[in-house]
Amino acid sequence: MDEETGTVAVEVCSASRYYTMGEAIVRAVDDVSFTIGRGEFAALLGPSGSGKSTVLNLLAGLDRLSAGRILVAGRDLSTMDSEALARYRRLTVGMIFQSFNLVPTMTLADNIELPLRFAETPRSERRNRVLELLTNVGLAQRAGHKPTELSGGEQQRGAIARALANRPSVLLADEPTGNLDSRNGQEVMALLRELNEKMGVTVLMVTHDPALAARYARKSLHMADGKLVSTVEAMR
Amino acid sequence: MNRQDLFELAGRNMRNARLRNALTTMGIAVGVASLVAMLSLGIGLQGFANHQLLKSGMFQTVFVTGKQDMRNMEQNADAKPEESPVLDDDARKKIAALPGVEEVAPEMRAMSEVEYGDKTNFTLLAGLPPSAREEDAVEKVDGRFFSSANADEVLVQRDFAKKLETNPESVLGKTLTVRYAERQSGESAGSFSIERKEKQFRVVGLLDDEPFGGMRMISRARVFLPTQTAEAMNLMQPADTQQLVRSAPGARTYSMLAVRMESAAYAEKVEESVKKMNYSAYSYLDATKSIRRFFAVLDMFLGIFGSLALAVASLAIVNTLVMAVLERRREIGIMKALGASDADVKKLFFAEAATMGLIGGTLGVALGWIIGRAINFGTNLYLHKMKMPAENLWTVPIWLVVGAVVFAVLVSVLAGIYPAARAARLDPVQALRYE
Repeated sequence: MDEETGTVAVEVCSASRYYTMGEAIVRAVDDVSFTIGRGEFAALLGPSGSGKSTVLNLLAGLDRLSAGRILVAGRDLSTMDSEALARYRRLTVGMIFQSFNLVPTMTLADNIELPLRFAETPRSERRNRVLELLTNVGLAQRAGHKPTELSGGEQQRGAIARALANRPSVLLADEPTGNLDSRNGQEVMALLRELNEKMGVTVLMVTHDPALAARYARKSLHMADGKLVSTVEAMR
Repeated sequence: MNRQDLFELAGRNMRNARLRNALTTMGIAVGVASLVAMLSLGIGLQGFANHQLLKSGMFQTVFVTGKQDMRNMEQNADAKPEESPVLDDDARKKIAALPGVEEVAPEMRAMSEVEYGDKTNFTLLAGLPPSAREEDAVEKVDGRFFSSANADEVLVQRDFAKKLETNPESVLGKTLTVRYAERQSGESAGSFSIERKEKQFRVVGLLDDEPFGGMRMISRARVFLPTQTAEAMNLMQPADTQQLVRSAPGARTYSMLAVRMESAAYAEKVEESVKKMNYSAYSYLDATKSIRRFFAVLDMFLGIFGSLALAVASLAIVNTLVMAVLERRREIGIMKALGASDADVKKLFFAEAATMGLIGGTLGVALGWIIGRAINFGTNLYLHKMKMPAENLWTVPIWLVVGAVVFAVLVSVLAGIYPAARAARLDPVQALRYE
């Protein structure tokens, strides 16, 4: 499945996403191009409405390009039908959100099992995999808890475990610390960095916080009004 | 997603909105119950009517008479003698040779005087063919049926037996003497003579009901003997004088032959062949065509009324699932983000609809069955009060049980089409937008 081509994990070429609102055309993403290397930790920065979340949704395969191309792990998203796109979301990318988006009626373990169900992983494997994922994020004791019984930080760590269930090569994070206090935020960021460094998962994080980006990301992409305005690569 | 996961998730979703789903499921159950109740009543009534008719062997029997029979004299009064042959032994043999014919029995009836002990009664004597027993034409016999086709034995109607003994059962095994008119060949071709004879018979059985459900003429008789015995006795028949005024009175003729076939399927063909031989033929199949059509229409109407409740229930399913789609917008978005395809989401809602249909259908069949039992019980209580035998007006055949559950699932899945499509169409970006 993951036939990675060379060192590039994500390649965005002249990507555009337009919306029509009545007569007017809104250019949420306008001719954006960038690449992210394999195993890289990148941040997508910009004020709200700059189009950074739209770019993330395009990369997640949740939204469709109006023009241009996006290649992830060497595969062109614009040529995929909705079934192929679902499979892409299931296996190639993992996604975490500012509001965690754990299913509130399910236990943490059930939440993590969900993508394994979609991937039709055999039942016997699932149980072990869920436990392994929970252990990796330090929540093995919390498996049977409902999201409401967990702290924000625990919820986000659980969401990260869920995003990694099917071993994706790219992790997309939309304001992962936006709803967390600084201590929990730091914990989550530390976990993302650990996963990035130890497991080689490519991370693209959307944030409006330049300090956070500067601290964790090797590459920072700045957006404004749907355009990419600057790219900063930290030398570390 | 595989089926087991699908139904696991569906079950979990349904448990989360337990009351709503339970109410909707009960709605389906009531709908299915009404459908089952209506249809089983229709089937039961039809079965009851069929049973009554079949019991008399009617569908398997064609009655043959000469065209100039007394019963349809007016109608065929102008039939020329050559177009209206007499019903004689030749004809009987020819009819017996027709495909599907099992037995041709003449309808024998004669006035007789019956002597039993010191009592003498004037009554009608009639022949019963051996098939009468298989056909269930004789519903209930105390004692037994004739031991052979030409035994010197009789069955008597219980009411008649009461005239003979205070305890009707005690006539069984006793002997009675029958005095009757025997027809003898005349000295000349155009005559026959009649002589008074008597013969002794053993009473072997008591009849509760009239044979052939009272549908055939011989039923009015009170004493029955095997047809073959009756034939051997050369009983003077009421129609004999009719034959005398017509042609050749020498040969034996019959006023009516009851032609019994292997199955009702032959009736139409036999009837046709007999008509070609220039005799009149009549079967109850013609008469009951309209009855059977009536039941088909009745079933249809009962089915439609029964389905109305199910139609209402299906709207409840649509409503419940549309609500679920609205409520679970975010969850659907999450599932899509985690890799659920549109088809997965659609299937999940179908699974929920089908589950409600299955549970509702099963409960409904059970409920319908209970309602049916209750009505049947009530009816029989009434019948009992009216001193009538209990009847089973309520039949729930296995195909109705299975069919109703399948139908409930089908209707539920159909009701799920719109909500499922709506859920599948949901834009995950919109659904996940942070509020």
